[in-house]
Amino acid sequence: MVWRMNEAVDTHLQELRRGTVVLACLQLLREPGYGYALLERLGEHGLPTDANTLYPLLRRLEKQGFLTSEWNTEESRPRKFYSTSAAGIRLAETLQQEWRALTESLSSLTEPDTAHEES
Amino acid sequence: MPATLTERYISATVRSLRPDAQEDVRAELAASIADAVEARTEQGEEPAAAEREVLTGLGDPAVLAAGYADRPLHLLGPRYYLTWKRLLILLLWIVPACALVGVGLSQALSGAEVGTIIGESIATALTAAVHVVFWTTLVFVVLERTGADAGEAWTVDDLPEPKESGTARTDLVASLVFLGLVLAALAWDRLIGLVRVEGDWLPVLHPGLWPLWTLLLVAIVLAEMVHAIVLHARGRWSTGLAMASTVLALLFTGWALTLFANDLLLSPDLLELARTVGGIDAQSMHTLGVILVVSILAVAAWDVVDGWVKTHRDRRR
Repeated sequence: MVWRMNEAVDTHLQELRRGTVVLACLQLLREPGYGYALLERLGEHGLPTDANTLYPLLRRLEKQGFLTSEWNTEESRPRKFYSTSAAGIRLAETLQQEWRALTESLSSLTEPDTAHEES
Repeated sequence: MPATLTERYISATVRSLRPDAQEDVRAELAASIADAVEARTEQGEEPAAAEREVLTGLGDPAVLAAGYADRPLHLLGPRYYLTWKRLLILLLWIVPACALVGVGLSQALSGAEVGTIIGESIATALTAAVHVVFWTTLVFVVLERTGADAGEAWTVDDLPEPKESGTARTDLVASLVFLGLVLAALAWDRLIGLVRVEGDWLPVLHPGLWPLWTLLLVAIVLAEMVHAIVLHARGRWSTGLAMASTVLALLFTGWALTLFANDLLLSPDLLELARTVGGIDAQSMHTLGVILVVSILAVAAWDVVDGWVKTHRDRRR
């Protein structure tokens, strides 16, 4: 039973985090970056992401026009660098705003002061 | 030199991607894997072990490829599942039943053994069911992958009326299948003949019935079909529907008994053959006639009583 409970908790956490990877990528890639480095930085910022989630996501965002990419062949290992496009920055701002609004809304649920203002 | 694990992994991933994307994904994935392996070896890991760990972390190449190609990892998603299920259930109610009765009928008419009739009809019904499931599913899998619209948006008007008293869809389907078979048998009897005696096809019904009396029966059957459809659409019995059901039952009884009393129902050739070839004497013939009349009356009575009882029950709900 406890094991099942933990599994359910994990699922809920995953669902809550799901959309945040997109926002995190768009914010971090305001400075150009490549796949593995982005993976590391996400981890450092407390947003650990699976490689097999991130790599396809980057290509999808590029296809949708929120990221642009460029091959960098100056170093010994050629790498594909992504950076957030103008549309991507607008999307990031929208998502960030939504995230803040959600945080406020959720906080208000547990803060009785704001809830009583109307009455 | 055999291909390295990384090369094999990358090839397995890009193989199913669009050709124009393959090279780009291959190069990018190679760099990402090399970066990850390098990070691990810098921590002091064995290169071979590091490579294994990194590839294991990336998981099944087929899953990764599906992610790159934006392909679903299911046969049918929530968008099409319910439409598929509803259609499949409806088809499975109709098609195998028709195949079963149709094949059984044609086998019986061509004089097959009882064992053959049963075996052939069941085998055909099973084959029909398998075909229905396969082709319906195939169409929906293609829809799922091409992203076409199933065109079935739900609205509150789709909410089913509370249905009881045999107004469910299964009853409708059963009624329509049965009435359709009656029409088919009528046509068959008129054109070819339903009974085969000594290599010849003989009609069961009196040839004098055509056209007026036969068309009257067709009209009654068509009215029964309309009645079944209206009943299903309304979802409940009403006085009007029970009345219509009674009138139709009386019409049919009147039709059958009038003809029977005047020796106009069954083909005289057939009766003659039953006497001579079948060796049925006058006494037995009389008994068979009584059984026929009683059956017709019983079916009609059942129809009438069934309609009114259900009307009464539905009124109290």
